[in-house]
Amino acid sequence: MNGQHPIEVTVNGTRHAREVAARLLLSDFLRHDLGLTGTHVGCEHGVCGACTVLFDGEPARSCLMFAVQADGHAVDTVEGLASGETLHPVQRAFYETHALQCGFCTPGILMTLIPFLRDHPTPTENEIREALSGHLCRCTGYANIVAAVQRVVKYEGAR
Amino acid sequence: MKHASYMGQRVLRLEDAKLLTGRALFIDDVELPGMLEVAFLRSDDAHGILRRIDVTAARSRPGVVAVYTAADLGDYWRPGPLLVPPPPVPGLIFNAATQVPLVRDKIRHCGEALAMVVAESRYLAEDALEHVVVEVDPLPAVAGLEAALLPGAPLVHDQFGSNLAAQVRQQKGDYAAVRGSAARVIARRFHYDRGASAAIENRGVVAAWDGRAGELTVWDTTQAPIPIRNGLAAMLGLGESQVRVIAPFIGGGFGPKIMMFYPEEVLVPWAARQLGRPVKWIEDRRENFYATTQERSQIHDAELAVAADGRILGVKDVFLHDTGAYDPYGLTVPINSQCTLLGPYLVPHYDSEFKAVFTNRPIVTPVRGAGRQHGVFVMERLLDLAARELGIDRVEIRRRNYIPADAFPYDHEILFQDFRPLVYDSGNYPAALEKAVELIGYADFVEQEQPRLRAEGRHVGIGVVSYIEGTGIGPYEGARVTVEPSGLVRVATGVGTQGQGHFTTFAQLVAEQLGVDVSQVQVSTGDTRDFNWGTGTFASRGAVVAGSACHAAALKVRAKILALAAGLLGCAKAEVELFDGRASVRGAPDRGLTLGELARKANPLRGAVTPGTEPGLEATAYFGPDRGNAASGVHAIRVEVDPETAEVKISRYVVVHDCGRVINPMVVEAQVQGGVAHGIGNAFYEQLSFDDNGQLMNASFMDYLLPTALDVPTVELAHIETPSPLNPLGVKGVGEAGAIPTGAAFAQAVEDALHGTGVEITEIPLSPSRLHALIAQARGGTS
Amino acid sequence: MIVEGVHLFPGPREVVWNLLLDPDVLAKTMPGSAKITRNGPDRYEGTMAMGIGPISAATFDVSIVITDQLVPERYTMQIDGRGGFGFTRGLATISLADEGVSTRMHYQADLQVGGKIAAVGQRLLDSVSKLLLRQGLEAMTRELERRLAGGAA
Repeated sequence: MNGQHPIEVTVNGTRHAREVAARLLLSDFLRHDLGLTGTHVGCEHGVCGACTVLFDGEPARSCLMFAVQADGHAVDTVEGLASGETLHPVQRAFYETHALQCGFCTPGILMTLIPFLRDHPTPTENEIREALSGHLCRCTGYANIVAAVQRVVKYEGAR
Repeated sequence: MKHASYMGQRVLRLEDAKLLTGRALFIDDVELPGMLEVAFLRSDDAHGILRRIDVTAARSRPGVVAVYTAADLGDYWRPGPLLVPPPPVPGLIFNAATQVPLVRDKIRHCGEALAMVVAESRYLAEDALEHVVVEVDPLPAVAGLEAALLPGAPLVHDQFGSNLAAQVRQQKGDYAAVRGSAARVIARRFHYDRGASAAIENRGVVAAWDGRAGELTVWDTTQAPIPIRNGLAAMLGLGESQVRVIAPFIGGGFGPKIMMFYPEEVLVPWAARQLGRPVKWIEDRRENFYATTQERSQIHDAELAVAADGRILGVKDVFLHDTGAYDPYGLTVPINSQCTLLGPYLVPHYDSEFKAVFTNRPIVTPVRGAGRQHGVFVMERLLDLAARELGIDRVEIRRRNYIPADAFPYDHEILFQDFRPLVYDSGNYPAALEKAVELIGYADFVEQEQPRLRAEGRHVGIGVVSYIEGTGIGPYEGARVTVEPSGLVRVATGVGTQGQGHFTTFAQLVAEQLGVDVSQVQVSTGDTRDFNWGTGTFASRGAVVAGSACHAAALKVRAKILALAAGLLGCAKAEVELFDGRASVRGAPDRGLTLGELARKANPLRGAVTPGTEPGLEATAYFGPDRGNAASGVHAIRVEVDPETAEVKISRYVVVHDCGRVINPMVVEAQVQGGVAHGIGNAFYEQLSFDDNGQLMNASFMDYLLPTALDVPTVELAHIETPSPLNPLGVKGVGEAGAIPTGAAFAQAVEDALHGTGVEITEIPLSPSRLHALIAQARGGTS
Repeated sequence: MIVEGVHLFPGPREVVWNLLLDPDVLAKTMPGSAKITRNGPDRYEGTMAMGIGPISAATFDVSIVITDQLVPERYTMQIDGRGGFGFTRGLATISLADEGVSTRMHYQADLQVGGKIAAVGQRLLDSVSKLLLRQGLEAMTRELERRLAGGAA
């Protein structure tokens, strides 16, 4: 596609300079222009939450944003969570509690949980479920995801 | 020394690291140089004659490489194959009509594809759609199941003279004769409405043709890569070995991803060959609501004849089944409804007849449960109503009607979806019921807690329902197990994976036999280059059929290892122990060889081999069960209803289920939990709302509501194990179990909570607004 | 979708009648930009483009066939609109009655809506159609007032 607007976005700590069309969605920019395919697209209406990334540290639906809106901002995606082969504590908790099945909705949920746990280091079960309520999962029925969050809180403390 | 057995172990999943770090390849992650993207022009009308379609303007739009209509396909245009022929039931009527790649003359449902635009990007392809000129003469749409069969109704397929897609009657005994001697006949009409599978990942197809190698590679979100490969090869005039179909990681299947051959599956590879460039199509969510198959709409007029003590004398059921605009999947769904109604009960006389009806709505093919829920809903509701009329406790009436634990194999004498007689292999229904009743605290609730809370003005209720799930049907699956010189064990099988944990459960089965750590076993699924005999994942059969094939192949490799090791170590085969990737002599562990060393020895570059032996440590095996087996379970639910807002709160959800022997309890429990969530969605939130013109009015997650973490409780789960004699592992399927009786459980519990209001629940879904209306109606009637 | 209601025009029936069936007036007063031509005594065709709030203009083709005319009392319109948003089709009846020096118009339409707007825009249909109708009727009223004040057509 012909780029028309130069943007500079810092993604997972790395600065990227690109030229993009005004209407290019942030989700498409991350996935196809930058090759970061961990962020998934489930509905393009902002409902399912699969496309959730961090925008200047706060969760945002990348399917509802344009790449040009990210110019000069910092975006964090699931690819930035692990350190090399070492999983982030939240990722490890998901592994240990079988909190994913097909894994398609998972990256979005992980990104929502990072600031959630930062701001709510000792959440109740209801607070966890509320935090997850912006994410649709068709496979797990959510129980193990709640258990994963409780596990992180129990073993890792605030993060 | 021996490994603890892997059977029944909560092994953490081998595939998780990839998925958690975003490195797993899903369909839209496939990027190929020079790749083009597709957008489909889809019909806004549900029924109409396509008079004219002009793509000239669209062809000249920026970035557009090609635009195809039905006319451009030439001889390639043809209706898809009939995937499932009708079962051999005497007197059956079946009218086959299958979907077409692009509409040529008549539009039969909203969203049918009219034209395919191939462009440099999806954005540009969608831009071009607006420039396709379409002239449609709209026709009145078939407005509903009953309206479809009225004389003078608009015809979906003119050639049949009516909208009857099929008529099937199955009988056992003589219901008419026994009805007269019943103490009570409970008759009701039940409605079950459409729902979408709504996997969070939509469908997609990517195809690349290498003209020099003569090879077509197709990535497809299919649950059946091997049949897709074989079909595409035939359609495109290629040899099967020239086509490779890869089912990558798939974000949820639930049934519709096994429907074959979707128009897009047929067109994208064709376009890739035409254009000599890779072509990608990714479905968007709105398309998914039309272009991906759905399920569930049925109307039942059913009656139950019971004796005074609640024993079932017989059941008669006449129902209409919505098959949508075409019926490529045959009668799987309604046959499942017909068979699953019998459940775990002794039903001496049964008369079930259904008419499958064409409508101007998207095609119906199995969605998790695949018609079983309707049968369960009808039977469980009839039993509940009979219990009430006879003054018998709801749990007791079930106890009195169960097939006893010593009556297996039990033959119900009618035909199941695998065309074999419906015979239950094993089960212990009374034990499951007792456990569920105990876990949910039924007696205490009914005798103490409920009366106490009711006196406080609260509306609490309890529901206990029972079901059978036929699983693990044939035809067959296969697997190949190979020990590599590195010591790594590779397993290849044909089924795909959509989150069920095959990479781990199959590895457990193989590691069990070869004495290796499960992390040393790498499973490949869904790539026809790795394995090309089999059918796919559907009908809760992966663990049973593909698992049994993996087990069988592992046994063969184990035999080779033992024979080779015995020869090399100079001992008897019975003295060889396999442990931690090594074969050694019992009692002399330092006399041994690693499996890797054995594999190298089994493939010499020089010397002679014993004639008749095979090189390497590799074997392929197949498993095809004689018939499906019967998994079963009991769901129990406690709810509280607010009669003013009609909000239903679930306070507890208990599942006691029997899926035979369990390979990985962690995986099984999660399947049940996920299934229950889907069932809760269908019972209470999800409904595809079509208007009388076949227009879908809620084609987005904003209006088609999936349950969230706030709506789904954590299920309390208990296992019963009655191993299946039909496969060497003794396993039964479990993928759909959670979703099957949920509607019936809800209905019973909500009705119980609203006891005294006169509300009777005979429909699914029960949205808050619908429940509200029922409550108001009942009040208006009794006040 | 049923759309019905009443509107009071500050002018005599004959003038109102002529305005309602004048393609140039229709083009001017319909919300968004429109180009409507009369292709026969009872047939109007054209294209319209309209945007709603931040959503940019969607174009659609529209055809209106007038039947059952009883001048200057009532007529029926067969409406057919189709565009990227989907389509709308149906019958509308318009009846005019004197009310002093004004004209009371009663309108009733039963419209089928399909395609994208029906699939994802259900909650907008009611409010948007009311809004568009109100805008159109207000513009029509202003045009009527201009005519009566001696303005050029």
